[in-house]
Amino acid sequence: MIIKVGTPFSNEESLAALNPYARSWFLRNFKELTPPQKYSFKLITEKKNTLIAAPTGSGKTMSAFLSVISRLFNLSLEGSLEDRVYCIYISPLKALNNDIHRNLARPLDEIYNEILEKKGVSIVKENIKKVTIAVRTGDTPQKERRAQLEHPPNIFVTTPESLAIILNSEKFVEKFKGVEYVIVDELHELANNKRGVHLSLSLERLAWASDFDFTRIGLGATLYPMEEAARFLVGYSGETERDCNIVDASWSKEIDVKVISPVKDLIYTSGEEVEVQMYDEINRIIKSSKTALIFTNTRSGTERVVFNLKKRFGYGEDIAAHHGSLSRESRLEVEELLKKGSLRCAVSSTSLELGIDIGSIDNVIQIGSSKSVTRAVQRFGRAGHSFREVARGEDIVLTRDDLVECTVMMKSAKEKILDSFNTPKNALDVLAQHIVGMSLSSKWKIDDAFGLIRNAYPYHNLDKKDFISLVNYLAGSYVGLESRRVYGKIWYDEAEKTFGKRGRFIKVIYMLNLGTIPDEVAVNVIMTKTKKWIGSIEEEFLTRLKPGDIFTLGGRLYKFEYARGMKCYVSDAAAAAPTIPPWFSEQLPLSYELAVEIGKFRKRFGDVVSKCVKKPLGKGRVYLEDIPEKAFDFLKDFPIDEKAKVALFGYFAEQILFAKTIPNNEMILIESTKEDNSNKTTIVFHSLFGRRVNDALSRLFAMIMGEIMDIDVAIMVNDNGFVLSTDDEIEVDKNLIKDLFSDLVSMDVEAMLKRNIRKTELMKRRFRHVAARSFMILRNYKGYKMTVGRQQVNSQLILKAAEEIDKDFPIIKETYREIFEDVMDLNRVRNIIEEIKKSKIKYKFIKTPSPSPFSHNIIAFGHADVVLMKERQEYLKVLHKLVLERIGVRNAAK
Amino acid sequence: MRLNDDVELIDGMPAAFIRSLNSIVISDPHLGYEGVMAKRGMLIPKVNLKHLLEMLDACIRKTGADRLIIDGDIKNEFSTVETEELNELIDLLRFVKEKGIRLTIVKGNHDNFVERYKEPFKLEIHGQEFAENGYLFFHGEALPAKSSKTKFMIMGHEHPSIAVFNKAGKKEKLRCFLYGSLYGKKLLVIPASNYFASGTEINLYPKEELLSPVFKKANVDSMQAIAIGYGSTINFGSISSLRAL
Repeated sequence: MIIKVGTPFSNEESLAALNPYARSWFLRNFKELTPPQKYSFKLITEKKNTLIAAPTGSGKTMSAFLSVISRLFNLSLEGSLEDRVYCIYISPLKALNNDIHRNLARPLDEIYNEILEKKGVSIVKENIKKVTIAVRTGDTPQKERRAQLEHPPNIFVTTPESLAIILNSEKFVEKFKGVEYVIVDELHELANNKRGVHLSLSLERLAWASDFDFTRIGLGATLYPMEEAARFLVGYSGETERDCNIVDASWSKEIDVKVISPVKDLIYTSGEEVEVQMYDEINRIIKSSKTALIFTNTRSGTERVVFNLKKRFGYGEDIAAHHGSLSRESRLEVEELLKKGSLRCAVSSTSLELGIDIGSIDNVIQIGSSKSVTRAVQRFGRAGHSFREVARGEDIVLTRDDLVECTVMMKSAKEKILDSFNTPKNALDVLAQHIVGMSLSSKWKIDDAFGLIRNAYPYHNLDKKDFISLVNYLAGSYVGLESRRVYGKIWYDEAEKTFGKRGRFIKVIYMLNLGTIPDEVAVNVIMTKTKKWIGSIEEEFLTRLKPGDIFTLGGRLYKFEYARGMKCYVSDAAAAAPTIPPWFSEQLPLSYELAVEIGKFRKRFGDVVSKCVKKPLGKGRVYLEDIPEKAFDFLKDFPIDEKAKVALFGYFAEQILFAKTIPNNEMILIESTKEDNSNKTTIVFHSLFGRRVNDALSRLFAMIMGEIMDIDVAIMVNDNGFVLSTDDEIEVDKNLIKDLFSDLVSMDVEAMLKRNIRKTELMKRRFRHVAARSFMILRNYKGYKMTVGRQQVNSQLILKAAEEIDKDFPIIKETYREIFEDVMDLNRVRNIIEEIKKSKIKYKFIKTPSPSPFSHNIIAFGHADVVLMKERQEYLKVLHKLVLERIGVRNAAK
Repeated sequence: MRLNDDVELIDGMPAAFIRSLNSIVISDPHLGYEGVMAKRGMLIPKVNLKHLLEMLDACIRKTGADRLIIDGDIKNEFSTVETEELNELIDLLRFVKEKGIRLTIVKGNHDNFVERYKEPFKLEIHGQEFAENGYLFFHGEALPAKSSKTKFMIMGHEHPSIAVFNKAGKKEKLRCFLYGSLYGKKLLVIPASNYFASGTEINLYPKEELLSPVFKKANVDSMQAIAIGYGSTINFGSISSLRAL
């Protein structure tokens, strides 16, 4: 059973659970028990599975480890501590492992020294040993690995990938027999992705190999729903869910964040001015803090902010960037500097949002929206080192949609409304790796293997047919007998219902190709004439480029000429503006939960504002004194500054005056409109269900419309809606929209989406990832390292070939599953369509002569980077002027 | 689709039929492709040979041809012979024998090996090129010899295809024949019949980046792109007009 533990234990009870030496060490070093410790010391001492959610600086690590250390010293004092592994600690970050080692070495030494002092030489007679600890990651030198095998550490610190490798080292697995504790750290970074799914199977294999149902301890920052995270951690024992105690101390740290608009008017203030104000604001915050941490969402944004801060305010080495494209060394260096407190400010894309202790941060600045409440809580939670301190931060918004979003987000954070995560279920590619791994250590009966796999939470509902078809694939049954030697990774005896390893090379292939993180492709951009290297773009962006398209890279414009393999040839562009918007797949999608909260806010605030504005506002721009009391009252409880309030009111008032409608979570507004100087037909769908749902919905509508009208429809997806457009001149009216919806609610959504996705780049790319994870495309093979470019060779045709073998070929099936469930959110799409059917979600159709205010960002932003905003802002002004003219405000622009 | 009285492009297939020779012409089947890829760690399903034989069967039934001409690169690996390739070559020879047709092979740059099997399999193999009845067949990695007897030249090697964009901006890639002239004679470039070779997008590439030296002499921009897709074969117009799109 999964139980949320209510009241904490008393300090006396908690401390009484510990070994006296461990207890006195703790009391000497800490003033008090932190919130999670008041639960965990006793629970873990009683060997109960425990999930602990608590913010940074709340003594989380010690809350998990002290009981374990205490138990190990009990054994040591009894003289029965053996040379084997008692506790395995797993963290997704290598850097965190070194930290843990350092942080635990001290108590282990000090406690032992105290015993030594007290007992003197008799420790030899009594066989009292030191409790040992060692780290094992991909970086651990061979010599040290051998030493670990000879003298296994009592506490074994590792990563999910290294654990998977060790599970296939027969000699080492011996040392795991009877392992008592497994601690999984940063659970929130694992429970929602394939890396975590991979780990969940490793844990079940470990339980099988160690022949012991060990105590499972999970640590995480913010996790919602916590029950789901707990199930992920503990899994099943046969048909029974293992017990787990949930300790929720995630709210023990108070968060105080203010949403700040750098200017009163986010439309007409010039781009330069907004930037000046923004950087001044940031500088003011840096100056008033000891160490500030800035999040920008994207890598290019990080570079830009660092560059600007240095240029504008003369900062030097005291400001540093930290993101995924930087080398490991430079990232480590920044982390070290932060720990030492010698940086004034660190700027990060997303990479510093979790993980290692980065020392004392007294202010977190978020530029733009972090797109999810959970992420906001994590990021701002980085401020304030101890759990007693309030986490302070500022969220600086640059667009009106960001403003609405962040306003709602920070309110939700206060009210503890988090977005939920999803564990990928029945992922066949990850399972394929483990079946191969399992076959390496022994021969398996199909049913035994299936039973073990179903103990892992992500696979508890695995269809046996899928399992068997996967086993068949791995046995190479998709090629003739004579080729199975090369294609097969296992043998499978259908009559005996057993499988095992095939051939000598498989182990090496397995070890070299294991893992779930796909190789990513950077396409090199090169000048056609000079062959000079300019920079790199993402593979997915390349596939969108047509010869002649103009795009920005590193702040300059280039014309796309042609591509050859992974090289993109360009020339200088004389044009003033790009013809194709920038593309960042790393951009974070708006979560469903937050989208719905925004929808609710739009509805409520929209009602308030519509009562205030019956006629044009006059003067063109709304200043604070113009905000009616009712609206001001409504915004009282929101953590936003005065400038932001003015901007919010103005935004809603304009939409109401222009379109008389504020779209919300229960009403999809469909707006047929014309863009400036264009014959293009543009239909904006204001749908507030988050980007993943919008991604699927937009494809469905585009396909239906394409079929009804027999035209090609282009799609642009955004967080707050999507745009369908076509160069054909078509008549968009009520009847067409009615047809779109009646088709939508009556069709087979999955079949329709499959048809749409089948030929997309998304499908090709994901297929390649799945094929690599399933060992169909081997990245490392007999000394031959395959480049991503080669992996990409004709994945479309390989996909077609696989389909010819079997439409439900496991790799194809998994690709669709990954797209439908992990990339999009098909289940929610189905629910939403059901609600539309029942008229719980309504729709309204309007025609506008130019786009309404709420659609400006959807149209102009597409996929974009918050900090690069000059051209878009010009475009927004054009759109906005049209609005003001229509609602009767003269003198709109300066 | 008919090119002239004697030459027909078989609908929806990367194959030409020459009436006066009663022959089907294909190029670049790259037999054993999957096996060779598998040895590099790309374990892709085997479908190339099956598709090739199905296509040839359909072509023979449709045209009544009694001869197959393969215009180079019958197999994939450059110099060595992989078991997989040999097996597939044998399967092809068996097919040819069953159908009772004659096989003529033009050597391509991947085909240095075939000489070795000339004797045991009694293969009819030509070196760089061969001429018959006014037609000159050559693979395309070198320039063909000039001859006054030649009226019509046929090559492979380049794996031509074109890219077209629909109104929504989505790219579609289609294999195509290229039809134009060289040395004042007709020139037909045959697309690859290999299942996995989707080809080079001729209309997106600069001329100087193309593989064959033939395109240093023949102006590819003036050639017609006759594309294959969805079961039919359609002339899409000149490469230069496709470049302008």
